[in-house]
Amino acid sequence: MVQKYTSMAYAKADDMLFGNAKFPVKAGLGLEIGAGYATPELNYAPRPQAGKSKDKLVKEYERITTDAMARMVQIGAPSVVLETEHVEQMSNNPDWGAAVAHAQKTIMEEYHDEYGIKCALRHTIGDIREDRDYLQLRGDKYNTFMEAFEQCAQNGADLLSVESMGGKEVFDYSILRNDTAGILFGIGVLGSMDMEMVWSDIAAIAKKNGVVAAGDTDCAQANTAMFIAGGLLDKNLAHTIAIVARAISAARSLCAYEAGATGPGKDCGYENTIIKSISGVPIAQEGKTSTCAHSDLMGNLTMQCCDLWSNESVEYHGEFGGTTVQCWVESLAYDCSMMNTSLKLGKAKDLRDILALSDKYRDPQGYVLAYDNAYRVGEAIAKDGSDNYLRAKNAAVECCNIVEEGIASGKLRLTRFETNALAKVKADLEALTDDSNKFMSDCLTRFKEEVAVFRPENYGL
Amino acid sequence: MLDLKLEDIDGILVRYNVALEKEMTPDEAAEELYPKDELIYPIAKSIYEGEEDDVVDGLKAAIAAGKNPIDLINDALMVGMGVVSQLYDDGIIFLPNVMMSADAMLNGIEFCKTQTTEVPEPKGKVVCHVAEGDVHDIGKNIVAALLRAAGYDVVDLGRDVPVDEVIETVVKEKPMLLTGTALMTTTMYAFKEINDKLLEKGIKMPFACGGGAVNQDFVSQYDLGVYGEEASDAVKIADFINANGTEIEKLREEFHKH
Ligand code: B12
Repeated sequence: MVQKYTSMAYAKADDMLFGNAKFPVKAGLGLEIGAGYATPELNYAPRPQAGKSKDKLVKEYERITTDAMARMVQIGAPSVVLETEHVEQMSNNPDWGAAVAHAQKTIMEEYHDEYGIKCALRHTIGDIREDRDYLQLRGDKYNTFMEAFEQCAQNGADLLSVESMGGKEVFDYSILRNDTAGILFGIGVLGSMDMEMVWSDIAAIAKKNGVVAAGDTDCAQANTAMFIAGGLLDKNLAHTIAIVARAISAARSLCAYEAGATGPGKDCGYENTIIKSISGVPIAQEGKTSTCAHSDLMGNLTMQCCDLWSNESVEYHGEFGGTTVQCWVESLAYDCSMMNTSLKLGKAKDLRDILALSDKYRDPQGYVLAYDNAYRVGEAIAKDGSDNYLRAKNAAVECCNIVEEGIASGKLRLTRFETNALAKVKADLEALTDDSNKFMSDCLTRFKEEVAVFRPENYGL
Repeated sequence: MLDLKLEDIDGILVRYNVALEKEMTPDEAAEELYPKDELIYPIAKSIYEGEEDDVVDGLKAAIAAGKNPIDLINDALMVGMGVVSQLYDDGIIFLPNVMMSADAMLNGIEFCKTQTTEVPEPKGKVVCHVAEGDVHDIGKNIVAALLRAAGYDVVDLGRDVPVDEVIETVVKEKPMLLTGTALMTTTMYAFKEINDKLLEKGIKMPFACGGGAVNQDFVSQYDLGVYGEEASDAVKIADFINANGTEIEKLREEFHKH
């Protein structure tokens, strides 16, 4: 059963804060996420050679887990989440993923028993639903995909996640062509449809196994836009378009929670502050501590309302200060310690605002995702919450309005190129129908013709 | 929410993009670059604007006035695309404009081909692929589009391409350049294998490699590797080969910046 959100979890933006979610989530060994404290979430990747066999891979993750847990107790961190993002072998062979989950959890239990450290294990299953040329969202691979969740849940994973890919084929085509309708259709319509299907099934598996259906991210689309947009001087995509894609992605990633997930949302979902404002679920975020994985323009801002604070991913190898997982989890833990101190001192809202303001005027993306504006995008989504298309369109329009106001205030300064791109997206959006059935049939006709790899049957169409 | 005063922001962050933006608008800059010939001008302009139908209309008018369809490919379509590429390289326009112009230009080439039995001469053939096991193909798509836009004949093998398929294609198509894209540290090792298998077969040709995971140090580890950071470097590498030959050392001198 999919239950759409039509109202806000928080009465006002100012009620949102890091380390606190309206609906905290208990997970793993003594951990509660969003229950008044922030927790580091470490994410890592095995060295390339380690993927050669199941044994090697399990050993690699044992080393990673032991290193990280050891560092956490060495520095006195009260809690930690470990996130294992599956390499392809672990999801295509569900017993591999299960063996890794089991090995990791065994080590975490030892640490929990000995030191009482609160901890949980997230497994993010790879979205393996594609063959070489086409997405294959509903084909043969679906069963293996679900089996991977099931086996991980049975063998120690406490939190289940995925970075699902629905709509990506239309999006990939559209984003390189400034095709606003295509971006909206790929993320807001196709992506949402696919997520409703996938997350209903994941939620059922989680329930059956007594674990948490955590959440998703629009990595496949909104992050692609963010990466193509790049830094201030890159010329591949307007940042004003990237943030419109991001606003739309909030309407999409929200579908996980409507289908039974409870959070914490995935770290790389930069749309998560918007989602938190609507749903009240705890969220993971990444920022300055994920420079090991990528660069973005809001390294502090993303911390503003996070419940888990993540490093996105780092390859396991040695550094001067220990292994990479030790160095990065330590940085995360000190950031959390700072957030938790501010909570205890009653200064958390000040810290939140400092974090947000230090990036708010850097770029339109940070501007819209600053929690006050993110809340407004949330309202635009909830207003037509039961219509996937309309709410995604609302989010896009509100995003344009917010950026325009920022420019008018003089504080958000954009190049002419950026403002022109904004004007174009806004005009495109205004020209679109309010009738979701018509939008669907227009887009189906057009993209079947223009995008060779688009197969409507992937969405049951 | 607390807020910063307007005058305080610049001390916290600098919008170098705003500070450095060129005075001229893209349309004005393009206007300066279009060829003046009154039959060619509208074609070049339609390419810049990405208007496929206008490109074809312009071509029809030029052909009706006696221009040779095959000559129009180089003298009008390529020239129009050249304007677009230059504006992109100069940082005046952005990638989506280039993609739309490229679509319009390719459409124009197809149209010219239907108007004659002559076969156009491409600048050279390039084989593009994404490494085995890797599905990240957006960077490769950009590379392929820019190469096509620059007049190269591109054989696009897609993503997750097995090493042997790359080798077979190179043997069959005899391209002037092979490109590889990899975004994962786990998949980029396929490039070394490709390098070794090409050398085993006695094929010594430039193998341009790029993509998020790939870096210059890695690419320098195998004989044929030339590292390119930006998609537009693929075009520059191909142009460089046309002008200076296939010597890997020279290419590395030119393109290895780190
Ligand atoms: C978008 C994305 C995806 C999308 C891909 C969509 C698509 N159609 O490509 C999706 C969601 C499908 C995806 C899936 C996965 N991803 Co991914 N993804 C990314 C992300 C966020 C951005 C990549 C991107 O598109 N960049 C924009 C393009 C334009 O850049 P580019 O390809 O590098 O190309 C530029 C240049 O490099 C150059 N270029 C490219 N090729 C060439 C060639 C030549 C010759 C030249 C000269 C230049 C050149 O031109 C371009 C423009 O200038 C990156 C993050 C990051 N830091 O890169 C992760 C990232 C690459 N993904 C990662 C991972 C782990 C995965 C998954 C395994 C996740 C999972 N558990 O399922 C799967 C992989 C599945 C598989 N087998 O491949 C990791 C890889 C880590 C590693 N091991 O190295 C990254 C780095 C994220 C991270 N930090 O953890 N991903």
